[in-house]
Amino acid sequence: MTAALEVHGVHKSFPGVKALADVGLVLRPGAIHALLGENGAGKSTLIKIVTGVYQPDAGELRLDGRPVRFAGPRAAISAGIGAVHQERNLIPRFSVGENIGLERLGGGWLKGVDYAALHAEARKWLDVLELDLDPRTPVSELNVARRQLVEIAKALSLRTRVLLLDEPTASLTPQEADALFRLMRKLRDEGASLLFVSHKLEEVQQICDEVTVLRDGRNACASRPMAGVGRQDLVRLMIGRNEQIADFAPRSHADAPAQLELRGVSTALGHVGVDLTVRKGEIVGLYGLVGAGRTELAKCVLGLHRITAGEVLVEGKPRRIGSVAQAIHDCGIGYVSEDRKQEGLILAHSVLDNAGVTVWRKLARRLGLLRDAAVRAHVGPVIAELEVRTPSLAQTVGNLSGGNQQKVSVAKWLAAGVKILMVDEPTVGVDIKTKAYIHELLRRLAGDGAAILLITSDMPEMIALADRIVVMDGYRVTGEIANTRVYKPMSEAIMACIHRTAA
Amino acid sequence: MKLFALPRADWFGPLAIVLFACAVITAFAPSFLSPFNIQILLLAASVNVVVAMSQMIIIAIGQMNLAIGAIGGLAAVSFAGLMQVWSFPPPLAALSALGLGAAAGLLNGALIARTGVSAFVITLASLSIFKGADLGITRAQPFYNIPASVKAFGNATMLGPIPWLALPAALVVAGMWRLLYRQKVGRFILAVGGNANAAELSGVSIERATLWAHGLSGFLAALAGIMLVGRLQLGQPSIGDDWLILSFAAPVIGGAVLSGGHVSVFGTLLGVVIVAIITQALVIFRIDPFFVQVVLGLLILWTVGVNRIREVRLSGVRA
Repeated sequence: MTAALEVHGVHKSFPGVKALADVGLVLRPGAIHALLGENGAGKSTLIKIVTGVYQPDAGELRLDGRPVRFAGPRAAISAGIGAVHQERNLIPRFSVGENIGLERLGGGWLKGVDYAALHAEARKWLDVLELDLDPRTPVSELNVARRQLVEIAKALSLRTRVLLLDEPTASLTPQEADALFRLMRKLRDEGASLLFVSHKLEEVQQICDEVTVLRDGRNACASRPMAGVGRQDLVRLMIGRNEQIADFAPRSHADAPAQLELRGVSTALGHVGVDLTVRKGEIVGLYGLVGAGRTELAKCVLGLHRITAGEVLVEGKPRRIGSVAQAIHDCGIGYVSEDRKQEGLILAHSVLDNAGVTVWRKLARRLGLLRDAAVRAHVGPVIAELEVRTPSLAQTVGNLSGGNQQKVSVAKWLAAGVKILMVDEPTVGVDIKTKAYIHELLRRLAGDGAAILLITSDMPEMIALADRIVVMDGYRVTGEIANTRVYKPMSEAIMACIHRTAA
Repeated sequence: MKLFALPRADWFGPLAIVLFACAVITAFAPSFLSPFNIQILLLAASVNVVVAMSQMIIIAIGQMNLAIGAIGGLAAVSFAGLMQVWSFPPPLAALSALGLGAAAGLLNGALIARTGVSAFVITLASLSIFKGADLGITRAQPFYNIPASVKAFGNATMLGPIPWLALPAALVVAGMWRLLYRQKVGRFILAVGGNANAAELSGVSIERATLWAHGLSGFLAALAGIMLVGRLQLGQPSIGDDWLILSFAAPVIGGAVLSGGHVSVFGTLLGVVIVAIITQALVIFRIDPFFVQVVLGLLILWTVGVNRIREVRLSGVRA
């Protein structure tokens, strides 16, 4: 039987980053195919190539054995590739039926839209999904699960043969997810070809027939039958890398005072009983699969979400952190976001403004007057120390390279003089040289007395940098390991900690 | 429609305000509902509802049009000027002015769709251009020689207290209702306003929807300008100068979402009526009419606040 969709030897580069290298994937009709990979592994790039958002630099896509090129998302959709993305693609105020039939509303210059026919047509597709839903209901009245099903109905109504589901269960309850899985199996049994992207390995094992894993933009495995592949194997495929680890000497900080300490912390986001200590001069790695609750924990410490139980101690004193301003100015806690474009930097502003935003409050004089010279005096040395390659402090941050942007987002916290720095995925999307530089920088900062909490999904990075590794899974701490910096036993110990909750 | 769903309809709140205001004002000043006063109300509302629809169609697509007053003014002086200087018959002059308005709107739409620059900036610039052209052509002097037929159209009554001006206004309201709720073009405009990305993936051309919306907006602004020439009985270059606040207030009072994707034709109509009633009430109670602006501002804040609460509730259901 010919494959529904084949991806062969696809390459894709972005300035400074090789996102995909020689990636392949074969989707068979009547099968559910899993696409796995950690953050930055190249999953989203591959999805965008398959759905026509990006064009590959090299390699080819084949649909039913024939080579195809998609000029844009519309071309992919009309070729029969439907996608249900993480962001909802429905018009909230329109009815279910009108959303399903938006591409063929009919009606002419004066002739109106025939809603009776439109809703009757939509009814057919809702029936296929066995979805008991009035097509006249406005989408805004539906919950997330139902909206997703409506998107699937819409995709089916466009004669979709390949259906791509990007983390469809991320915001579903277990019952809703089960209903979705039943539907996916039904579609599979009717001969559809499904590509399922998820971070939840249990789900993947439960419903997928085949699996492709990406790692560092390459196939860790391509279109392998799921039979006989265990969770352990999947985790190993996703995170078991073999690259060289920078050789830093082990350090011990057992005697150093604790800068940041969490005792039995539970949060509004669902963390339960988290204990965590970061000492002066220490880098503590926080490891876990995507969705383990690491970034969320950092944001709770920063005062963005409520802490419901337990204590946060800063320099030994219990603190209630109610706002980010308090975290920065009173407690000396900084957070380098994983999403520097959205949360870390103001791309249209200058290097000076970006790095100085955290100190404006401190430097402002009476009447809130702020002199550029004062900010420059404060920020300049930090920028110089971090070797940010910028023509001047007035340069717009958006024009810098990814690595230099990352340096600026670190610089703003150093300028603020924080003692505790939480760094989230600091090397995603930067080239290898900058990555090495950022590693050295973090080590140096710790050496100078900062307490660093490093969140990363990059196992070698974690093992290279951290003095101690705390493993999280399902919003709980599942283990703590002193880092020996020997890759194999460390990675196995970390995986064992992740599996402790799964078992 | 179920009874408890009524209060959630966009027109329910404004309608309640209209009825309540009429009752209260009539209790203090029985002359409020006299035929003459109703005629005055309708005259004001007829022009204003066209102005409001001209902005509403742009709100529907999630943009704003600061230039409607300037387009309306330019169309008004063109209409009057064509008749006075070149002796165009009124219908031909009106058609030319409408065409000019639509063209001005299409120019806005084309610039917005092609350049991707925000509608705010584009229409701010074109506001200046159109207003400048208006004042330059007329040297800020009105055209006084308006044919009697046009003057009659702007002031005579058709039936009882209902003025002739209410006819084009009613046609516009009916047309907009049909367009936005029953025709493909209108649905596409609302779809782009509701979720541009989703609309584009469904094969809706954002460019074409933008052109349609702005072309219609310019057409309606020109129509309002022409109607005002008839009502004022002169081609006043300052026509349109005071439209902007009303043009946003009425749709917003009527339940429009300024980020796009949702407007209510009847809500907007009621919004215009509310503004007219407030203006009248202040006159009846001998309050300085300048305070209309204050009341209007407060009303905008109040309705925007109510809408915001509704939206938060709506998204609360989603989570």
